[in-house]
Amino acid sequence: MAKPKVAFYWCASCGGCEEAVVDLAEKILDVVAAVDIILWPVALDFKYKGIKAMEDGSIAVSFINGAIRTEEQKEMAKLLRKKSGLVVAFGSCSSLGGIPALANLTSKKKIFDRSYLNSPTVVNPDGVVPKTRSIVDGYELTLPEFFETVYKLDDVIDVDYYLPGCPPTPELIANAVNAILEAKLPPKGAILSPDKSLCKSCDRNESKPEDVAIAEIKRVIDIELDPEKCFLAQGIICMGPATRDGCGASCINGNMPCTGCFGPTDSCKDQGAKMIGTLGAILEGEEEEAIDKVIEGLVDPAGTFYRYGLSASMLGSARKEAKDE
Amino acid sequence: MDNFEPKIVAFTCNWCSYAGADKAGMMKLKYSDDVKLIRVMCSGRIDPQFVMDAFREGADGVMILGCHPGDCHYRTGNVKALKRYKLLRKTLVQFGINDKRLKLDWVAAGEAELFQQVVNEMAETVKELGPLHLTGNVEQGGK
Amino acid sequence: MTVEKPKIALFLCECSTNISNFIDLPAVADWAESTEDFCFVEVSNLLCSPDGKKYFAEILMKHKPDGIIVAACSPKLHEKTFQDVAEEVGINMSRVQMANIREDVSWVTKDKTKANEKAKAMIKAALRRVILAENLEKVTMEVISDILIIGGGIAGIEAAIIASKAGRKVYLIEKDISLGGSVIKIEEVAPNMECAPCLLAPRLSEVRDDPNITVLTNSEITDVLGFYGNFLVKVRKKARYVEETCIGCEACFDVCPVTLKNEFHLGLGNRKAIYTLFPGSVPAAAVIDKEHCKHFIDNSCDACVSACPFGSINFNEKDEELEINVGAIVIATGTKSGDVSKFDELGYGKIDNVYTLPEFERIACSNGPSGSKILLKNGEKPSSVAVIHCAGSLREDGIPYCSGICCFGASKVGELVRKQIPEAKVLNIYNDLVFVGPKINAFYRKQIEEGTRFIKCYDLKTIQVKEKGDKITIEGEGFSQIEADMVVLSTGLEPASGTKELADLLNIDLRKDGFFKADHALLNQTGSTLEGIYIAGCSAGPCNVATSVTRARSAVGDIISKLIPGREIELEILTSVIDEEKCGGCKLCISVCPYKAIIFDDEKNISIVTEAICRGCGTCVASCPSGAAKAKHFTDDQIYAEIGGLLYG
Repeated sequence: MAKPKVAFYWCASCGGCEEAVVDLAEKILDVVAAVDIILWPVALDFKYKGIKAMEDGSIAVSFINGAIRTEEQKEMAKLLRKKSGLVVAFGSCSSLGGIPALANLTSKKKIFDRSYLNSPTVVNPDGVVPKTRSIVDGYELTLPEFFETVYKLDDVIDVDYYLPGCPPTPELIANAVNAILEAKLPPKGAILSPDKSLCKSCDRNESKPEDVAIAEIKRVIDIELDPEKCFLAQGIICMGPATRDGCGASCINGNMPCTGCFGPTDSCKDQGAKMIGTLGAILEGEEEEAIDKVIEGLVDPAGTFYRYGLSASMLGSARKEAKDE
Repeated sequence: MDNFEPKIVAFTCNWCSYAGADKAGMMKLKYSDDVKLIRVMCSGRIDPQFVMDAFREGADGVMILGCHPGDCHYRTGNVKALKRYKLLRKTLVQFGINDKRLKLDWVAAGEAELFQQVVNEMAETVKELGPLHLTGNVEQGGK
Repeated sequence: MTVEKPKIALFLCECSTNISNFIDLPAVADWAESTEDFCFVEVSNLLCSPDGKKYFAEILMKHKPDGIIVAACSPKLHEKTFQDVAEEVGINMSRVQMANIREDVSWVTKDKTKANEKAKAMIKAALRRVILAENLEKVTMEVISDILIIGGGIAGIEAAIIASKAGRKVYLIEKDISLGGSVIKIEEVAPNMECAPCLLAPRLSEVRDDPNITVLTNSEITDVLGFYGNFLVKVRKKARYVEETCIGCEACFDVCPVTLKNEFHLGLGNRKAIYTLFPGSVPAAAVIDKEHCKHFIDNSCDACVSACPFGSINFNEKDEELEINVGAIVIATGTKSGDVSKFDELGYGKIDNVYTLPEFERIACSNGPSGSKILLKNGEKPSSVAVIHCAGSLREDGIPYCSGICCFGASKVGELVRKQIPEAKVLNIYNDLVFVGPKINAFYRKQIEEGTRFIKCYDLKTIQVKEKGDKITIEGEGFSQIEADMVVLSTGLEPASGTKELADLLNIDLRKDGFFKADHALLNQTGSTLEGIYIAGCSAGPCNVATSVTRARSAVGDIISKLIPGREIELEILTSVIDEEKCGGCKLCISVCPYKAIIFDDEKNISIVTEAICRGCGTCVASCPSGAAKAKHFTDDQIYAEIGGLLYG
């Protein structure tokens, strides 16, 4: 019997998700033995036209990481959707928008101006910026269109499962692959990580007092971090309470607060809004002035509450035209 | 723009602001029909997700109306609402949403005129700001 | 599988013409019919009337809808009316959804077309919401009718007696070693100059002898759990080291080698390390001051043991921890005199013969430190006494408010002085005078007639009290220098020590001035901000003896009218619940709860709402970062549904 065909693809991503696959270590050999990898641009050379030539649905599963921000990424996502039985959004960017989606807090023009014109390290006297079409020596050259908005994968295609994380842990990846191989998958649309808040598995939760209150919001550079005490109890914003479990608290074990890459639990629609609801109630201060003073310490709320989730946020996802841009 | 009829959702608490709205009704005080009320038991029940959802679903403005500080039926729900509101406003601005589109105020059960006033002022403010378009991208969308 | 569409009935009430004059109800009804969302749509009139309700019930029985929308008046007015009818015909109250098209639309909207559109949006919102309704259940619980009273002053004693007369078991907790409070320290209560100990003594023995009343002195509250009708109060009864067989004969006092300042005399006299508060105290038994007793310090003395004719001394007594189950709690913790030692210019604590008003009262008392004689430090009688009103009051760095009763006490000084020293001059320096009511005002006038002079000072902060040889001089804006032998500072009244801590334990609010906050300043002065906890005496704010006692009677009256043995109370229906499966145990809801209704289950590692305590504000739900907490009848989904309905129409 032919081995199931598997594709790995990357869109707007940093490459960390690819690393995560490699981090499977020796387990990857089991995967390779069990499946037939037909696309993995970061590691192996394949031709897109080869994929196009495949029969629809002939790829058992495509793991797509990265957010969608160019026409090419969207086209490849659509192609893989067509050719695959299952599509798994792999990692935070693909599931929620991830770090690239922070770009939605500004505009394409500002990003281009900065990257190609105004950055101190840029030398570009002619002010050349990428265009979808340019004529060079009589030849027409094309580049994929760069979208105004950064999308998560399910804004452009139908997604079957989500593997959250920046990046997903090898353990979660292995579980997902096994579940697929053994056909023991949960209902479509499921996020393949426990539906509980990270506090559930955080070793520091015991050190969190029942009356935790924040008198001053501190940043990790402001204080010497206690390696055992709950970050919120230290005045550090930890997104753990509003973040899905499954990462093994790896940041916290490295004495850094959770930044929320696993996204919210199933019962929450908006991770950032939920964290505002939670945090707002435990900030100290009764009078407006005192409250303002505490909140002053939070320099970048959107970047803190939505570091990975802008494309999945209620306001960030309020667009109906995405699939047709 | 003159014909623009803003959509405004006002979250009100059962004991003070909703009762204030009832009083405005009993006194036949006319106010902008652009403002529609949602009753919750306490302003402390208002989840920031509700505000975000209202904006997403097409509201051009959102109000949170609670009991005056010290008068909360549930002791301190309004103070929690205030803190959440402050955080929320700061965040909305980063989303490119003018912070005037979200307004928190205190209205007691007897303050019918005040209710009329804050609601009408909000309707005027939002009318001046114009419709809110959200596209998921700050520059293209809301203002 | 096809999901059956829920059957929703829509009633549009004309409310006489209150609604129908402004909203075109037939048009709204046509629109509703056209949506095909309703199994029944009808415009009716006066649905809240007896006939209307009957009709409402008939329709419900006929259609058996899954949801009912009553587009009419405010839910605050008639939601319960229609819920009750629905319950009567076997439909859960949660299924009734009001759309307030009267207060929120017809009465407040200028434009009729827009009124129609707004009404439709509200009906849509109600429709989306009612579909998601989950059944609500009424829960009742039998009340505990016993009562706990904190504070054994005149108010607490009165409360105990009244409650016992109603057949209730009463626990009277006093942190001092005897009952009596502030009033027992006074000689005579103005304006009738009634003998204070005579007012109290019969009450003290009544309390002592009443089998229904358990008196716990030298005791303090350590924790309070529970709610109206069922509080669990933890009390620490501190060891006395003297058993109850002691009758307070004082034989041990003479042999005790340790002399200490007497708190009962406000430090003006002395007591021993074994002592009673005053002769005839309740309980009669003495107490050993463990901190100062030589037996406890270095085991060097047991003089009292051999002196005691009853063998009552027991050095091995231990503190007891008691748990008391009651239905209501009365706070009667009283007040304390404001601290004037921080105001150097008033001379208190620095100049001899400058006393506070309570100290002066002690000096004038027959059981006082100088045996009822008003004397100067040098043993002579004062020929002149100056009284300074509002000492340390009405200023931000002191007591910023008017205590309302000190002027009365200050004017009593003249009466007390003249009784002993008729020729003595008494002079009261004031800025504001508060003598409210005919009797009290008459008392003030009488003082003037009998010789007390009242002198106005334009600014009390300018007053300087200085020593000048044997005399004391007083200067201030608006009067020329005054000389006196004795100065009495009429201090204001502050909340009793430990008020803040007690408020935290009981989870009730304090006013800005630090006294316990009333449930309602006009309508319920003796209820606290939490049901089942009452405030009597001066704990509810400074007041005179009459008001103290009246407050106690009011509080107990309210309790015995509600906490009837055998009666069931309905617990809050719209509580919050935490889904065990979803809770991540982050604990962040616990401190958010204004009623301490959420506890952490260490075994399951989750938070749990004690529904009997929860009052349903839902702030924990807005706080819960994993979406595990749910507010009954105001769920996230119901509110999203309402938002969507209102905005999309």
